[in-house]
Amino acid sequence: MATATQEFVHNLRELPHTVKDAWFRLGKTPESEREESQATFHNLFLHIHSVRVHVRTLSPTLTFGLGLMAAATFGITVVTGLLLMVYYKPSTDLAYQSIKDIHFTVYTGRFIRNIHRWAAQLMVLTVLLHMARVFFTGSYKKPREFNWLVGLGLLVLTLALSFTGYLLPWDQLAYWAITIGSNIANSPRELTDAVGVTRWLDPGGFQKRLLLGANYVGQDALIRFYVLHVFLLPLALVTLLGVHFWRIRKDGGLARPEDPMGGPAEWGGARRTVFEPVPTKTYGLMALVKGKRPTVNRGPENTVMAWPHLFWAELAVFMITVAATLILSFYWDAPLKELANPGIPENPAKAPWYFLGIQELVSYSAFTGGLLIPLIVVVGLALIPFLDRRSGGEGVWFGTKGERSVFLNSLLFAVLVTVGMLIFTVDYGWLRNWFPEIHQLWIITFNPGSLLVLIFAAWSLVVLRRRDSVRLAAVALFTCFLVGFTILTYFATVHRGPNWHFYWWPSQWPVH
Amino acid sequence: MKDPSRIYRWTVLGASILTIIYLLASAAHENYFTQWSGVQRQYREILRQKATDARGRELQSKFRIELKQVSLPALGTVDRCVTCHNGIDDPRMTDVALPHRVHPAGILDIHPVDRFGCTICHHGQGPATNFRDAKAEDAFWDYPLLPAELTQATCVTCHDAEKLPAAQIPLLAAGMKLYREKSCGSCHKLGGRGGALGPALDNEGAKTRHQLTMANLKAPHTTWGWQEAHFRDPGAVVTGSQMRNPTVTRQEALALTVYMLSQWKRDIPESYLAPDKIEQKYRALHPAPLSGEQVYRQYCFACHGSGTYSRWDKTFKRFIPAVRGISLVAAASPEYLAGNIRQGRPGTQMPAWDKHAGGLLPEEITAVTEYLRAGAPVPEKMPPLTLSGDAKRGVTLFLGNCAGCHGMNGRGGVAPEIGNPVFQKAASDELIVRTIRHGRQGTAMPAFQRPDAPAFSDQDVADVLAYVRTLGEHKRDKAVAQNAIPASGGNHER
Repeated sequence: MATATQEFVHNLRELPHTVKDAWFRLGKTPESEREESQATFHNLFLHIHSVRVHVRTLSPTLTFGLGLMAAATFGITVVTGLLLMVYYKPSTDLAYQSIKDIHFTVYTGRFIRNIHRWAAQLMVLTVLLHMARVFFTGSYKKPREFNWLVGLGLLVLTLALSFTGYLLPWDQLAYWAITIGSNIANSPRELTDAVGVTRWLDPGGFQKRLLLGANYVGQDALIRFYVLHVFLLPLALVTLLGVHFWRIRKDGGLARPEDPMGGPAEWGGARRTVFEPVPTKTYGLMALVKGKRPTVNRGPENTVMAWPHLFWAELAVFMITVAATLILSFYWDAPLKELANPGIPENPAKAPWYFLGIQELVSYSAFTGGLLIPLIVVVGLALIPFLDRRSGGEGVWFGTKGERSVFLNSLLFAVLVTVGMLIFTVDYGWLRNWFPEIHQLWIITFNPGSLLVLIFAAWSLVVLRRRDSVRLAAVALFTCFLVGFTILTYFATVHRGPNWHFYWWPSQWPVH
Repeated sequence: MKDPSRIYRWTVLGASILTIIYLLASAAHENYFTQWSGVQRQYREILRQKATDARGRELQSKFRIELKQVSLPALGTVDRCVTCHNGIDDPRMTDVALPHRVHPAGILDIHPVDRFGCTICHHGQGPATNFRDAKAEDAFWDYPLLPAELTQATCVTCHDAEKLPAAQIPLLAAGMKLYREKSCGSCHKLGGRGGALGPALDNEGAKTRHQLTMANLKAPHTTWGWQEAHFRDPGAVVTGSQMRNPTVTRQEALALTVYMLSQWKRDIPESYLAPDKIEQKYRALHPAPLSGEQVYRQYCFACHGSGTYSRWDKTFKRFIPAVRGISLVAAASPEYLAGNIRQGRPGTQMPAWDKHAGGLLPEEITAVTEYLRAGAPVPEKMPPLTLSGDAKRGVTLFLGNCAGCHGMNGRGGVAPEIGNPVFQKAASDELIVRTIRHGRQGTAMPAFQRPDAPAFSDQDVADVLAYVRTLGEHKRDKAVAQNAIPASGGNHER
């Protein structure tokens, strides 16, 4: 019988092994499917995956890993954001200097800030592309409608996080972005003023004060945006992200077409080959989870173990994201303009690229372009899975019959319409140029932005009638939306200069 | 089908290697290969060579390779310039190259770095830790590093430039003098004094490049580059500028540039101000009156020139009257002159100069009035006008003889606007009659009663006077006659 002392000494000696065992519960690389499944569901972070995944899930060209990339960039911004928070001071007097200090004196501070910024840029990009991927593979279809809505919420939160983020350095870009942003919030006044009810009903003024906490852009606004950026919005995003991932699992993994009945798929390697059908086995009704009949005599063909296949894929996407972010950050610094100066506006005061499409619309009418059209777009996107309820084409790029041709036609149509509209407005101006005294209600209702929306909607209705398919009408509308967004963004980025005039190239801008 | 995760394993390997490479490269780049640490390693070597005495050895042993900065909350600056300029206050560092060299002229003996920092005099981006960003010519920073010769402009932050020896601030002193000599105050306000044709210059030095039109300028687009080019040819820099080409040499343009850069109302804690600066601030509140000649030179000369002849101004498209002409000052009363100076001539480029407009003190207006009249003969007494004029007859005479220059209804054209309320109020009958009779020497105004060839009879003069006196009222009454002067030629449009 060993004494307690001996036992203590023994345990102490065994410490490296026992700690390792506690950490890696299996104590070795899993070797059987049973061990692989345990590796998955005994880990908090892995068990959100199912133990087996369909082979299609692993196909790189189905998803391009965009969703995971978006999540990875969010993770990178959280880590670097926490580091930046240590040095950043949310005060109008100190914020700018603290960014300069991060850039010039904090060890690798410049690099950390660059990573934060580039990850944020990539996040916006990948979220948008991810949405397009989900749409064009028909992956929002029943039962994934709810997750489409969650994704839409994540898109809005991503944009809100970006907006609140680039305000914090309190440089010229930040100051004038807040000014523009709060004026867009104020823009329902265009409508209430035109109707003459602002004295009694002033949602615009309320929104502006809610954002700024004052009647001017100052310390109160900065603190509000800071709290939103570092606390409220990330919290909301993490919550929705959890729901988003959870729903993928609950909705049966990534969308995919039904597997044909029959034999197992080809699969190299003896052990991971197939789920052998066991003829002697009887199945109870508990095997009926979803679908019309129990899966009798049929293994989950075409599935592989999540450990290690899916995790290699996910790790690869994560590492690509990290590497891309680091390389971008090494060569290109995050911008920081002059200290905010309320006396000298930026000209042109341009938002970051992902808002420039909206800014182009805002240049026609702040209310219509800044609030109404984005609202219409978001509501329209939200309605898609509820209006298109016929199944078919899930999990396949352009899976529905005729989808590819509708996509290409809509692409061409939207390019022509949008470019034509821009050429027209640049060459001839719009209502305010022709009739300087025109009533504001006309400007609100009838401008290039609202006209584009109407034309796109009409095109979608034409497709609906001609092709007799809600899905194809949705494809037409969504394609138009993407093309419009892209062209407006490009146009405002490259071709708009001081006073929002047209220039062929930024190098032709008059120098101040 | 092959193992589908194979490609992912290779990707993980590749991306991980890239990640590690860039993490290491960044760690090295941000920590070891910074510009400043290289500079400090050089400086450490210099210190080692110069460590010949106890003091030198002590300095060498104390030296650490680290970021260095002067933080001055009172000035709102953090200057990290000393991170590279390590020898800036070490008198032994005279024979080494920049950035290690000691500050020239012993200026740091009276302006220690740890009290003043660097950017208060030199501008530039204090927080920066590499030279490109510190110089900040192409960086997003409002006040880039001043070229050494222009640094004089910032002495006025704490000093009264008038009290500094001119030898120490040659360009600034020359600029101040030129500003007065070239009569820039005729059009520009500075310290509450001056005309209103050009922009006020009180905070000109605080302007950033975004406030100036750089389109016609070669890079780098700095404020001083703009100023210098603009002084040499205003119209070439600002399209459509009304500013007269001030005919200056390159050196003079530079001097004026320094003077402009020195115009910056900066809030500096009082403890930093030299006593003379405090006196200067007091004097600005209680200015000492200038002499008449000084006033004329600084505020009238640019338009009126010597004032002895009237001259055609291309920009304003009209004659500028000879205000020191013998015939005017002989005929005009001091009250007439002072009235015109105080209130200006509405509708022309002549601004009002009283205390709340052009900023001249009452004493100064009296003094300049006397200066205008100095040397003019005392006019012989004119027999009082007894004839009473008939304005209706006067119209015909006026249209035939006067309207060509003075415009229909006296609205002015190339000649002064005599329907002007200030003129109507300030000018006595005697002045008008004398002017019609004798004309104005040195101007285009002819004499209508020359002894050799009297064009007007006394009655004619009286009739024209009667008509001229109605002009103040007619001016409001547009229906009487159309102004025959085309809009572009008249001064109404200016």
